[in-house]
Parts: sequence; structure tokens; C-alpha cells
Amino acid sequence: MPAPVPFDPQEIVDAKYEERPTREGVTTKRMICAACDIACSVVGEVQKGRVTKIRSSDNPIFKDNICMKGIVAPKGLAHPNRILHPLKRVGERGSGKFEQVTWEEAMGDIGGRLKKIIAEYGPEAWAVSTSQWNTSTDHGLGRRVMNHVGSPNWISGVALCAGNTAAVNRFTYGWFPFGDFSSTNCIVLMGHNPRRHSWTPLYNSIRSAQARGAKLIVMDPRRSSSAERADIWLPLKAGSDAAMMFGWLKVIIDEELYDKEFVANWTLGFEDLKERVNEYPLERVAELTGCDPEMIAEAARVYATSGPSIIPWTPITDMQRNSTSGIRLQTILRSICGYVDVPGGELLQGFNPDIVNESTVEMHHVLSDEQKLKQLGSKDHPAFTYRGQLAFREPTQRVYGQEYANLVTGCHMATPSETFRAMAGEGEYPVKAFFFLGNNPLMSYANMPLIHKAMMNQDLIVSHEQFMTPSAQLADYILPADSWLERPWIHDMFGWMSTIRFSEKAMDPPGDCKSTFEFWKQIAGALDMPEVVPWDTIEDFYDYRVAGTGKSFADLISDTEVYFKKPAFKTYEKTGFATPSGKVELKSSLLEELGFDPLPYFREDPPHDKDYPQKMFTGVREDPYFQTGHRHIPEMRARCPEPQIYLNEKTAKAAGVAEGDWVSVENQLGSVKAILAVKDAMPDDLVRVPHGWWKPEMKQGNGSLSGAWDYSDAQLCRDDPDYLDHEQGIPHLKGIPCRVVPLAAEGPAKAASNAQHMEPAE
Amino acid sequence: MSVEQKKVRKKERSARLAIWMAARSSRNKTFLDRLCRKMITKATAVDPTKDFMRDDFVDNDQGFDPDELDRYQRGETAVVGQQ
Ligand code: SF4
Repeated sequence: MPAPVPFDPQEIVDAKYEERPTREGVTTKRMICAACDIACSVVGEVQKGRVTKIRSSDNPIFKDNICMKGIVAPKGLAHPNRILHPLKRVGERGSGKFEQVTWEEAMGDIGGRLKKIIAEYGPEAWAVSTSQWNTSTDHGLGRRVMNHVGSPNWISGVALCAGNTAAVNRFTYGWFPFGDFSSTNCIVLMGHNPRRHSWTPLYNSIRSAQARGAKLIVMDPRRSSSAERADIWLPLKAGSDAAMMFGWLKVIIDEELYDKEFVANWTLGFEDLKERVNEYPLERVAELTGCDPEMIAEAARVYATSGPSIIPWTPITDMQRNSTSGIRLQTILRSICGYVDVPGGELLQGFNPDIVNESTVEMHHVLSDEQKLKQLGSKDHPAFTYRGQLAFREPTQRVYGQEYANLVTGCHMATPSETFRAMAGEGEYPVKAFFFLGNNPLMSYANMPLIHKAMMNQDLIVSHEQFMTPSAQLADYILPADSWLERPWIHDMFGWMSTIRFSEKAMDPPGDCKSTFEFWKQIAGALDMPEVVPWDTIEDFYDYRVAGTGKSFADLISDTEVYFKKPAFKTYEKTGFATPSGKVELKSSLLEELGFDPLPYFREDPPHDKDYPQKMFTGVREDPYFQTGHRHIPEMRARCPEPQIYLNEKTAKAAGVAEGDWVSVENQLGSVKAILAVKDAMPDDLVRVPHGWWKPEMKQGNGSLSGAWDYSDAQLCRDDPDYLDHEQGIPHLKGIPCRVVPLAAEGPAKAASNAQHMEPAE
Repeated sequence: MSVEQKKVRKKERSARLAIWMAARSSRNKTFLDRLCRKMITKATAVDPTKDFMRDDFVDNDQGFDPDELDRYQRGETAVVGQQ
């Protein structure tokens, strides 16, 4: 996401601006970085036909939005192990052996085999996993092809990270807001910890806001660097976000700090909410969260009275047993305090009317209702599936001008756990073909042993990838993917915000690497439906998407970096909210219709198991890496060569482990190895497990899967009912019982480093 | 229109001006574009002693040599994997 526009007309006097000079032989391209999911506007410097440098944008509204991952991208993507040609599996699945084939040969066989599977089992037997955030998009074309074929079984990592948050936000006010960092008075981070080298634009936005006087409240069990900079830090127990927000609501309602006019005119269910909130007196909340009641009350008062305030999306609340309630409680706090769709508050931007958005490209209307209802997970956990989201069609049309809004690509998708169960032969019907693009599914969802079983049970697996990931090692075909340096891109803010940006192609893709556009075009052709992707080139496709601006893609890209929609506030006064009632539904009519509690609630942890005395949280990544990527880049690996878990000294002693030891973190599902770092910034009995570890240099193929079986945190992520959110079916990753035990004989132990003791826990 | 509504509409106008200037600034072609860019640069300037965006990794970045990247890609200079 772009930095907000930190601009105050009053401050404009005598400005000076100079373009950054370029060296001889160097040309520049304006690009959008896709090395992580936050899409910084950057500049690519090109020499001798290749990108040799990525630097931050010259545009002051995007300035200094760049991190180490973006800077090393030219080297990371020039790695000698990059997959440059289509590969076909040789030997049994997981043999780790492949032979080079052509795209034509691959597509001929893939098309034939996929058609056979569809004929035998039905179109729903084809599942696709991707993450448009990570791959710099497949433009909605994947879902478009699937919708035409008749398969609803598309899954993505956004099922437990932002996409689900967006889908659940709709239940309250019909859209997913984005905080107006540029003029907010108070920012609340719930476990989120953006840093200079991780979610860089957010870090810059938060610090800019603080520099002009905005308050920062951080809820985090760890003393993170954001916690250190906060005005108030609430060190809550991992996984207790929803309980904490009940405490805030109790204070805000009891002390009448809410926006009475907005509540009276624009919300439904306030009295019911009040009753539910009364079940959470501060003493109970203090017990559930482990925080001091006075501090809880103080934080609630600051949030409610500083206004307008914002609660940005966090990749924490969307990964919990109480995720739906937690996200709903965020939406309720925003609403009753009157912070929705106001300057400095939470903006409901809607679509940019001049651009064909990805929700439109996806063509959800062509998928029959019968197929929609077959979507895996929609029976038991419907919140973000078609079943859960269909009632938004009319309200979304009324407010935003079209029926389907796939915000952050997280609406209308299948639930991952149910999809993998079906793939493993344990579901309501079989799934026998699995495609994944720019995605390492084995390690990106909960319950890796199940995912492995699921993949081993497939008739056809196709991967579109840049590197030989553990998941790709199990594929029948690996098709070589281009990178963000090697193609143009329209970035539509994940279908969520109205700002559109453009990225130039800076170099040719190496070898036979092709874009996701090409991939889906060829798949449509292989399935005898070329008319589904009718454009000859990606540029033609983009011309179609931007035609409403009155310009071609080439004109736009040469003219500007960003295409805005005019800002507007409180538009609900004209259109109502995009909910069935047109109001903010504090008590959700749709959740009630789906058979769930229409009000938020808090499920406490299952009974304590004495064999697993610690609790772990995962999903955390180190600055040099994004998700499961980047471990192949020497410059990044040197900064963080091994996976590290964090414990405080007391917990480490109790577990019989010491700084620098190799340890094993175990629970009922599996175990992973890591080096222990002792951090006083960690609370007692909490274990930080890093996300996405494997080692590209280790042995490929089943058995090792390049170290995935040693290090991948997905082996510890449970998806049994106690550890799933009811409404969404997503796993609880913040507070899983575990134990840490010493692990002898694993590599040279690192020397203890006292320097780490006082650092924050990142 | 209530006082509250008036305040919101005023902020809306100010946000529209800001967005218009940001859009001009992004074009950076005409005199007006450049003027907008200069104004925004000034408005977003951070005191160098408190500049939280400064960072050695970013500031010292020299990029890569194209020929070295070629050799690296061919595996001639790569340390494949690590260590
Ligand atoms: S934060 Fe870093 S990796 Fe992510 S988009 Fe920005 S420059 Fe790229």
C-alpha cells in the first residue's frame, strides 16, 4: 500500500526539489516492488538490459519506502538456481527429479489430464492456491478461468492474513476500511510491529503520524520495537485480542465515550451489544488478558477520546481461535466511536470507477449457484466463502456499483483446511488436481502433515514458480515464472482501495519464464476455452482495464505513477452502508442467518495440557525474508542464517536450554528445530517460532524437502476444532500449547550473545 | 448543514486539494507538476536529526554490477545455497 499523503497545504513555502541524477548508461523505470506484500513504489535502474539496482522512488509521496528485500531483488532474481524452463517430474511424486520440457509439451499434457479429472470427478475436483499479494497478482484471471470451468475451490494465504479480515469487516459495515494515517490522532497496533525493513510504508506512516503528535497504543505480549515507542503498551496474553476489546468497549460504553449520534442514526444492535459487553467486566478482562485493569481503561479512553483514531489491519487478530469476533470487535470499536469514513479515521474508499477491477475480471457471476454451494468449507465455516458472502451482492451493488467485491482477494474463497482434507481423500468429495502459483502451500497453511498427505494423493500437481520450493518438489510440472522486474503491472490495491498504480517492465524475463497472465491464457487454451482470456498480450489486457480513464496503459504509465479517485467522506449519508440493512450492523444479521452468534464472544483456551507447558505464536518473519522466500539470497541469509526461537531467561532455564542451543519446539502435531535466542522482551512461557523456514541448499525431494520437515512452522499449526475459528475455519496461531526441549547434535551451536538481551522482540 | 458536517466537507476539500497535488506531483512534467512536487517535498521534509527513514542498508546501496550479475546467474560466482 502506498504511504498516505502526508500533506498539509499550510506548510507549503519555498520548496526545493531536485531529481536524483542517473549515471551514464543507466536508464530508470518506475516500478512497484513485489518482494513482499506491501507494494512500495520504487525505481529500477537498468544497465546492459538488466536491473542492477532498486532504489526508493523520487516521488515525495512515496519517499524512502524501500527495505533490504527490495534492494537485493536484482541479485535474488538472478540466482543461478532460478527455474528457467518448464520441468516435468521423473519417477514417483516427490522423487525430486525433473526433466526439461517445452511449454507446449507441458500444456498439452496438463490440459489433457485436467480435462480427464474434471470429466471423472467434476470441476470442483480442481483446486488452486495462490496469493496475489505475494506473486504481484494473477490479475483475477485464475478465478476467472476457474469460474468458467466451474470450480469454486480457490484458496490463498489471505484466508488467514488480511483477506479474511476484509471479508469479516463486511459483516459490520460492508467494506474493509483503510486508516487515514495522514491525519489521525491515535493509532492502535494489535500485535502488529511494522519496522524499517518490514512493512516499510506502514512503519514510515506510523512514525510520521507520531512525529506530528499522534498517539500510539500497542497491544503485544512482546516488548516489540513498536511497543517501545508506544504511549501505552498493553502486554496482553497471546490470543486474547477479543477479550481485550471487550474490556475497551466496557469502558467506552459505561463512560459514554462513544459517538451517540452515529450510534443512534447509523447502527443496529447497540442494546444487544451492550448486554454482551456487560459479560466482560474489567476484572474478567484483566484475568483473560493478563493486563492491569486501569491500563486497559486508560487505553480505551485514549482511543475513544483522541479521535479520529485508527486500528490498522494486523496479521495477528486474523489468526486466532476468536478471529471473527476479534475482527468484528475492531469494526465495532471503530463504528461506535464514530471513526468510520471520516477524515483521520477509517476510510471506506470503494472501487476506482475508471478501472476494471479484479473482482470484475474474476467474473463470479458465471459460476452457478450449485457449484458455489459446493465450495469446500462453506457448510461449517462459511464466513468468507460464497455462502457467507453472497448476501452482500445487492448491498454492494447499491453502494459500490457492482455485485461482487473480492476485497484483498479474501472473499468468496474455499477454506484451506477443508480443501486439503478433500485432497487427502477425507473430504465431502475428492479433489484430484492442484495448481499453485507463487505460493508454497505445504508451508503456508496449518497442518503441514495433512497438506503433504493431500499433495501425495493428487493425480495432477502444477506449480508456477521461480525456485524449487518444498511444495514445487512435489509437483508434476513446474512452469517457470517471471518476476516483478520482468513484466508490467497494474496494482489495484488488492481490490480494496481506490488508488491505482503502475509498474513498468524493466528487463526481459530469463529463459522461458512467463507471467501469470501467460500461464492462465495458456491454461484457458489447453481447456479449449481461449475466449475466456481473449487478450493477446498483458498490455492489451491492461488497455482493457484502464480504458475508462480515456488513456492507454502505455500513456498512463508514461504519464504518472498513481491514479487517484477523488476522496470523499461520509458517503454513507447518501448510499447507506453495504449491509442488508444499510446500517452498521453491530449485531450481524448475516452471521445470525448463517447460524452463528450475531454478536462477538470470547472462547477461552481448551484445558491446559501439562506436557506442553509453554505457548507458542507463529507467523513471525525476520526482516530479510518474506514468508517462505528469500532464504537463497546470500546477502539476506548472512543476516539471519538459521531459524531462531525466542524465550525469556526464566522460561529458557525452566526448559533446560540456553542461548545459542539448538532446541526442538514440539506439540501434538509435530516438531521443529531452531536456535534459541534469549530475549528479555519476551514474557514468561511464550515461545516465538519464526515463519516459513526451509533451506534451499538442503536435499530436495520427499524425506527432506529441503529442510521443510526440520524447520517449517506449519508442522506445529493445528487445525483441529479447538484450534479453529468457528465462522471462518482458520487456525489459531497465537497461543498454541507446546514445549521446548534441548536438541543435541544439530550443527555448531551459536555463541551466546548478551547483546540480544535488551533488544526488543521482533 | 450542521457544524460537524461543515467540518467534514472542509476536510474533504482539503483532501481533494492534497490528492490533486499528489497526482500532479506524480506526473512531474509541467511547471505546475513540478511546483506541486516541490511543495509536497517541503511539506513532508523530516528534521535530519530525527529522520526515522534513514538507514545504512538503504543509504549505502550501490546496486550491482551488470557483468557480475551475469556471471552470478550463470553460476560462475555463486555460492549456491549458503555458507
Ligand atoms: S517493504 Fe521492502 S520488500 Fe516490501 S514492497 Fe517495500 S521494498 Fe519491497
